[in-house]
Amino acid sequence: MRVSLNWLADYIDLEPSPSEEIAQVLESLGHEVEETERLAPDFGRVVTARVLEVEAHPRADRIRVCRVTTGGEPQTVVCGAWNFEAGATVAWALPGATLSGGTEIGRRTIRGVESNGMICSETELGLGEDSEGILVLDSGVPLGEDLAGFGSLTDTVLDLSITPNRPDVMSYVGVARELAAYYRVDYRLPEPVFPQVEARSRIGITIDDPTGCYRFVSREVRGCRVSQSPFWMRTRLRASGQRPISNVVDITNYVLLELGQPIHAFDLEKLGGEGIVVRRAHPGERLTTLDGVERELTPADLVVADRERASALAGTMGGGASEVTAGTTEVLIESASWDPPTVLHMSKRHGLRTEASARFERGVDPALPPAAATRAAELVTRLAGGEALAEMTDVVAREDRMRPVTIDFELRQAERILGPGFDVPRVADLLSRLHLGVAGEDPIKVEVPTFRPDLTRPIDLVEELARLWGYNNFPERVPRGPGGGRSVPQRRTGTLRQALCGLGFSESVSLSFMRASEIEIWGWDQEDERAREIRLKNPLREEESILRTTLLPGLLRVARYNHSHGLDDVAIFELGRVFLDRPHRVLPKVPDQPERVGLLATGRLGGSGLGVKRRPVDFYTVSAAWRALSQQLDLRGWRLEPVETAGWHPARAARLLLDGEPVGIMGEIHPAVVRRAELSGRVIAMELDLAPLVADRRHWQFRAPSVFPPYNFDMAFEAPEDLAADDLLSVTGEAAGDLLESARVFDEFRGEPLSRGRKSLAINYTLRAPDRTLSSEETAEALRAMANAARAAGAELRGEL
Amino acid sequence: MESLDALLKKAPTLVKGTSTLEELSEAEAELLGRRSVVAEFQRGIGRLPPEERPAVGKAIQEARRTLGKLIETQRGRLETESERLMLASDRVDVSLAALEYQEGYTHLITSTIEEVCDIFIGLGYRVVGGPEAESGTYNFDALNTPPTHPSRLESDTLYLDWGDPADEILLRTHTSPMQARYMEEHDPPVYVVVPGKVYRADTPDATHSPVFHQIEGLAVDEDLTFSDLRGTLAYFAREFFGSERRIRMLPNFFPFTEPSAEMHASCFSCEGGGQCRVCGGVGWIELLGCGMVDPNVFEWVGYDPSKVSGFAFGMGVERIAQVRHGVSPLRHFFDNDLRVLSQFR
Repeated sequence: MRVSLNWLADYIDLEPSPSEEIAQVLESLGHEVEETERLAPDFGRVVTARVLEVEAHPRADRIRVCRVTTGGEPQTVVCGAWNFEAGATVAWALPGATLSGGTEIGRRTIRGVESNGMICSETELGLGEDSEGILVLDSGVPLGEDLAGFGSLTDTVLDLSITPNRPDVMSYVGVARELAAYYRVDYRLPEPVFPQVEARSRIGITIDDPTGCYRFVSREVRGCRVSQSPFWMRTRLRASGQRPISNVVDITNYVLLELGQPIHAFDLEKLGGEGIVVRRAHPGERLTTLDGVERELTPADLVVADRERASALAGTMGGGASEVTAGTTEVLIESASWDPPTVLHMSKRHGLRTEASARFERGVDPALPPAAATRAAELVTRLAGGEALAEMTDVVAREDRMRPVTIDFELRQAERILGPGFDVPRVADLLSRLHLGVAGEDPIKVEVPTFRPDLTRPIDLVEELARLWGYNNFPERVPRGPGGGRSVPQRRTGTLRQALCGLGFSESVSLSFMRASEIEIWGWDQEDERAREIRLKNPLREEESILRTTLLPGLLRVARYNHSHGLDDVAIFELGRVFLDRPHRVLPKVPDQPERVGLLATGRLGGSGLGVKRRPVDFYTVSAAWRALSQQLDLRGWRLEPVETAGWHPARAARLLLDGEPVGIMGEIHPAVVRRAELSGRVIAMELDLAPLVADRRHWQFRAPSVFPPYNFDMAFEAPEDLAADDLLSVTGEAAGDLLESARVFDEFRGEPLSRGRKSLAINYTLRAPDRTLSSEETAEALRAMANAARAAGAELRGEL
Repeated sequence: MESLDALLKKAPTLVKGTSTLEELSEAEAELLGRRSVVAEFQRGIGRLPPEERPAVGKAIQEARRTLGKLIETQRGRLETESERLMLASDRVDVSLAALEYQEGYTHLITSTIEEVCDIFIGLGYRVVGGPEAESGTYNFDALNTPPTHPSRLESDTLYLDWGDPADEILLRTHTSPMQARYMEEHDPPVYVVVPGKVYRADTPDATHSPVFHQIEGLAVDEDLTFSDLRGTLAYFAREFFGSERRIRMLPNFFPFTEPSAEMHASCFSCEGGGQCRVCGGVGWIELLGCGMVDPNVFEWVGYDPSKVSGFAFGMGVERIAQVRHGVSPLRHFFDNDLRVLSQFR
């Protein structure tokens, strides 16, 4: 809400507080000042003046010769505008004046008549868009005043952001009331006085829907004349962010801003029949609103209707058919209280957020409508003429909404939340400054006026006490909790993250969504849990329409992003949740959403430098990464077994089993998927469930290192293709028994002299006993046992023992 | 034949005159070898009268010792020199390294979360997580947000086409549902921080993302007041942004706290005024929303609001990281450009 400090001064005396201080005070009260705008006209030497005479120009038809005075000797000014006559008060740019935009005005002769400066339009002064003629000021304006200083054109406007719980502050009076509470001063309300006629209203009001409409007040003014509103009102509306339209319409906006009660003016003669009914719209009913949009209504919409059709969307926008226009002479002012949710949903549904709906959706004081209707009637009779009917129609459908609330407030409720110091005098002082009724002592009976619908409970009053006392006037104290820190799985997740970074993978954080096309490229069938995705009901874009079932699409996206920026070697990982179409294992009602760790690499990976090249990634890169991770996490009892599954390389992918349970998959992504993902070369990836990896594990028992010498030797085996190195290691290891300290494959090859389907695996073993030096007999025996075990598994020792 | 004395006299010149280990070996042979003067004397001892033998023998030993020491000293000298030359020719370019290890980097969002959690762990808090696909019950109802509240509209909240529509399964709009979930499962005192992803119906632009991260804090104990909230947040601001930080709190509105506040920290980059990149010259940086837990929330989880009180706060992770590091626009957090990732540890 834009607040002009010039206008605000009608309701509270704040001199000599500078605008900076006012802004700070409002912020300390919870009303954020988004912007402070200083308004200053950019013209100079333009004064208020009266036109004494207007005569035809002797040599031109379209311009006239005026005699203009600021009180002294009249001077001649030639003017081309026709929207004024003798007696008008105008803005006179004296010779030497500067207009908006920098045009300089001098004394010049126009078709033989000397013109001393010019009479200005609003456009020429940079004030508005009205260029139909010159700016005509209100009669009664003192003459010879500098327009820049006089016309309230120099102003400061505070753009306030009012929180949704404070509809009462969305007006000049509301802002003044807040400042009055802070400064301990009074604020003023307008006191309308105006001519009224004793005549009965012909318009009956019926409220059909008391859920949506609490109260409806109407007031009629007859015999008015629609024209431009006066300069002061236009200036105030513009400063407050409103575009002036016509006096009657401007008055409705003015009253809305002044009091916070949105009102609407109907052209009485355009309403069908002599009655107004507030009702739900009929299915399919149509209404063209003031913005020219024809809207189809539903029974969820609340309308103000005449006997024939809907004339306005309640509390949101009026209808075009009953609009006040230039020819309007009879006006019906509507000033009503609408149900906040009804207005909120209506304005959201129609995408129509107006100054009125913004207030009604938060709750406007149901006590306001009569005062607002009366104020509007006063302003219409003053500015547009005519007479107001003395009778005001006031239909109350919800008496319950109009009673003030009383809260019993115990002092300990303040002390519990705010600490010591809030005794009866302080509490009574603070609350009464906020215009709450205060009586009695502990409990204090607090009467809340209807303009504060947010105050219903003691805790609401506690907040008010803190707010007015000043949030920053409370001391600081740091309480300590009982501890707990991170759980074991959280700590182990940190270990995993650090390990991945150490292996050269960088952490990526993706949005949790994917496109349908990002799943389709994998070729999973419909039963696959990775293809059974959860969709958003209300996605904003295709990119964010599906929840990810796997981390892989996001990782591919990141790889592609980096490739497109010239980075070919990408090694990334992500820790995050995926969302699966099955119930959560523990929590009721929500879908399963396990945490996963995923990684992906393209190009080359590893250290590089003098004579060392990075290794192109392949299956062995990802299995090596896994081995390193398993060591960092001290995971034993795992096993990789070949797996053929859609989307992965049929011969270069493995399922990870941990204690026999599948945990995830790793390997090379199928080249076809890689192509569809617009990448190239081998792309390796891994996706594992996080929980089993980081679960709390037993601590391993210490084993004292042997002090006896090791026996280190190599063995090479010729093995069939389908014998996994891991299996060969495990059978030979078992054969070596307790003596085995370590075993490591250091070479693998295929081809000559081996026959097809055979491979060679070279393994380095270390044997050692805890309690003795191994004898040559013992080691020979162990080697024989190992070779025999290998043979039983299908692998032949190459060469002699 | 030379006398021993003469030998001892010329020996230093001979030995010290050698410039290589080979020359030294030759000198050694000349002085102490089988054909040397000393060896001659040694061999001649047997021909001497017995009474002279001990004195001569002693003189010979003395001479051997002196010559030996002389030679060893020179050998040490030559060896040192030879090694020096050898090492000098083994010079490297110290600006090179054999291997550039490939390092990976923790994402700035994660490292920020970890740092904030560490600060609160220091104050005795526990770190907990929670579901991102939530029910309307925990995301809204438990947090005193009525069914008509605008934040529940589809224009603000992302709903899932899953489960019973009455349960309003959605993507949590804040980390606050964990307040309710945690309090339901645990008795006070409660001191927890909840980091995690949150979701809003926003189209990505310079300052919006449909996904971002929050860290929720919740403290519930027997006698926590607004002062405890202030002190805790001031402590956090000083730990995270520097020990000179002051804070200010401005009233605000959230359904699940009362009183509610917005917390600002004094700018770490300027003294206020001017064209500060961080605070825009205001001198204060808006950091987070906070407040005292609303009694309705306590009642929902089965706590007695007349016996416990507490405070809660929620900060945007991208927001505080952005403030501290100047990362802008927001998409740099989610593009995962390696050139960005590698800037942070």
